[in-house]
Amino acid sequence: MALLEVTGLRTQFFTRDGVVKAVDGVSFELEQGKTLAIVGESGSGKSVTALSLMRLIQEPQGRVVEGGVNLGGQDVLKMSDTAIRAMRGNRIAMIFQDPMTSLNPVFRVGYQIGEALRVHKGMNRKRAFDRAVEMLDLVGIPNAAHRAKDYPHQFSGGMRQRAMIAMALACDPDILIADEPTTALDVTIQAQILELMVELQQREGTAIIMITHDLGVVADMANDVMVMYGGKQVEYGVADDVFYRPLHPYTWGLLDSLPRHDISAKGELCPIKGQPPSLIDIPSGCAFHPRCPYAKEICRTTVPALVEIEPGHSSACHFSGDPAFRRDQVACSADMEAN
Amino acid sequence: MSKRRGSREQRAVSAGPLDVEGHPLDTQMPQPPMPPGAAELADRPSRTLWGDAWTRLKKNKLAIIGLAWVIVVVILTLSADLWVPRYFADPTSTEFGSLIKPTFPDHPFGTDRIGRDVFSRVVYGARVSLAVGILAVGISLVLGLILGALSGYYGGFIDTMVMRTADIFFAFPYMLFTIALLAVLGPSFQNVFIAIGILGWPSIARVFRSSILSVKENEYVDAARAMGASDWRIMVRHILPNAIAPITVYATMSVGGAILTEAALTFLGMGVQPPTPAWGAMLDDARSLILPAPWLTIFPGFAILTTVLAFVLMGDGLRDALDVKMKD
Repeated sequence: MALLEVTGLRTQFFTRDGVVKAVDGVSFELEQGKTLAIVGESGSGKSVTALSLMRLIQEPQGRVVEGGVNLGGQDVLKMSDTAIRAMRGNRIAMIFQDPMTSLNPVFRVGYQIGEALRVHKGMNRKRAFDRAVEMLDLVGIPNAAHRAKDYPHQFSGGMRQRAMIAMALACDPDILIADEPTTALDVTIQAQILELMVELQQREGTAIIMITHDLGVVADMANDVMVMYGGKQVEYGVADDVFYRPLHPYTWGLLDSLPRHDISAKGELCPIKGQPPSLIDIPSGCAFHPRCPYAKEICRTTVPALVEIEPGHSSACHFSGDPAFRRDQVACSADMEAN
Repeated sequence: MSKRRGSREQRAVSAGPLDVEGHPLDTQMPQPPMPPGAAELADRPSRTLWGDAWTRLKKNKLAIIGLAWVIVVVILTLSADLWVPRYFADPTSTEFGSLIKPTFPDHPFGTDRIGRDVFSRVVYGARVSLAVGILAVGISLVLGLILGALSGYYGGFIDTMVMRTADIFFAFPYMLFTIALLAVLGPSFQNVFIAIGILGWPSIARVFRSSILSVKENEYVDAARAMGASDWRIMVRHILPNAIAPITVYATMSVGGAILTEAALTFLGMGVQPPTPAWGAMLDDARSLILPAPWLTIFPGFAILTTVLAFVLMGDGLRDALDVKMKD
């Protein structure tokens, strides 16, 4: 059995302007020690999916209205508040996007890393601090014993994200959710942080859910990739399949908007035209149809279901079943080849 | 010592060869690259919000004068039993030989209309003022912080209830409300600070609520929740210390305000009752003699003025010192 099984997750926010369907029927599995990447534009429901898993959605404005989150045989969505607190940080831990604001400015870094240990493992201050120093050392902070006594503003961005990772891994969780952990960092630091995560994953056997809008980030480390658009899963499969044989036009669009050095592209990048949909007023039929160059009448009227096209590789597009409807035809990459 | 550690750290960082992407090629974990001088920077003693604030406060002359004056007043009035009765007079003892007389040096501030020593009464009067100021603000703080915290942290219905109640409190003229409350409770020392304290909470709750609203949006609060911290822990450990700075400023200034209100209430006869020496009561006592015996009003009036001013200056200095935007 998979470590984490999410089925038909639906999370909605009830605002004055209407109901925001932030996550609309998302299902996936995560095995121990594997990495799942959730990819999509801003506002596609990636982060809300992650927050729903940990029951961190702010109620009463937001609520998980349907679905199941099965963590090692227990339904997270039905846990008591006490049980959920015992689970957070202990079995599922999370790293946030902006390391500059994720650490509390009034506490020493070592104290903050040790906080989870004091909460979950009942360690005293001294032992938690010693363990925090070990963790800082593990994530590659030089002179950890000294730096643990520093305040967050004395750390650089990259070091703070390392500290966040140390904090998340302090209790040795089964699952680490990383919500765009490298977005706020310099490119060189990004690579280091990702490398560190992979290395710690191999050492500790932690499963990772990596949330990102950057396909380049997940290419190396993800086992599975889930592409989200407008709160729905549009493509889900093994990383190699999604990268090399993408089925959904939206995934094609994402891949085409990446700069590449293997295609002799003198031309421009091929961004997806238009804006992501408002989650209050999702377009009828396939949410992607207003931006999709291949949209037909059926796309406007009927919501495509997520269908397994190849073993372990599904897509939510009416035409994915047609073997001729593949990325090679994409007009834009053809243009680029021609150039 | 610190220099030595700095250079060792730098050597360690530059020791390993780096590949094209900037990762060290040795088996160690990738180290964050340090700019030159970063190691020395890391060796500075840790600076805290309050440490920084103190450094800045020290540069503010007015605030330091305010602080010094408050300290002087506190020391004088607390040690009064040791020296005032012996060298001057007991604040309540009367000397019928010298009524309303500016008799320096026996009675440096003169005597009042029943022959009491004004200097002694001014010094002892500070006790009432300071005690009322601090106790009243203490009550306001307890009420205001709890209600403001509930309001800001939980929002929704609680927020509406607390804030609308605060609005109701604000809707009444402050002075009239205190007088009405004292009319119900009866005039006495403890009722004065209770009344002022009860009426002071709405401002504190408002300031604290807004402060919490901005602090709780910080990612470290989400991070704490994701780490499994309880509401209580998040509130006390993560939000409170970051939201308390504006309250310190407001509370310091409020002490001045409470002293002034106490003096006004006592002046009106609603506060501390005779024969307890209180600055407001002394003014009330002397108001018919303001021209023939100005020392009876000047000295207690001056005591109120300087003490209130000292607290306000201190609060003002604290505001500047705690404002991180003014960091140089």
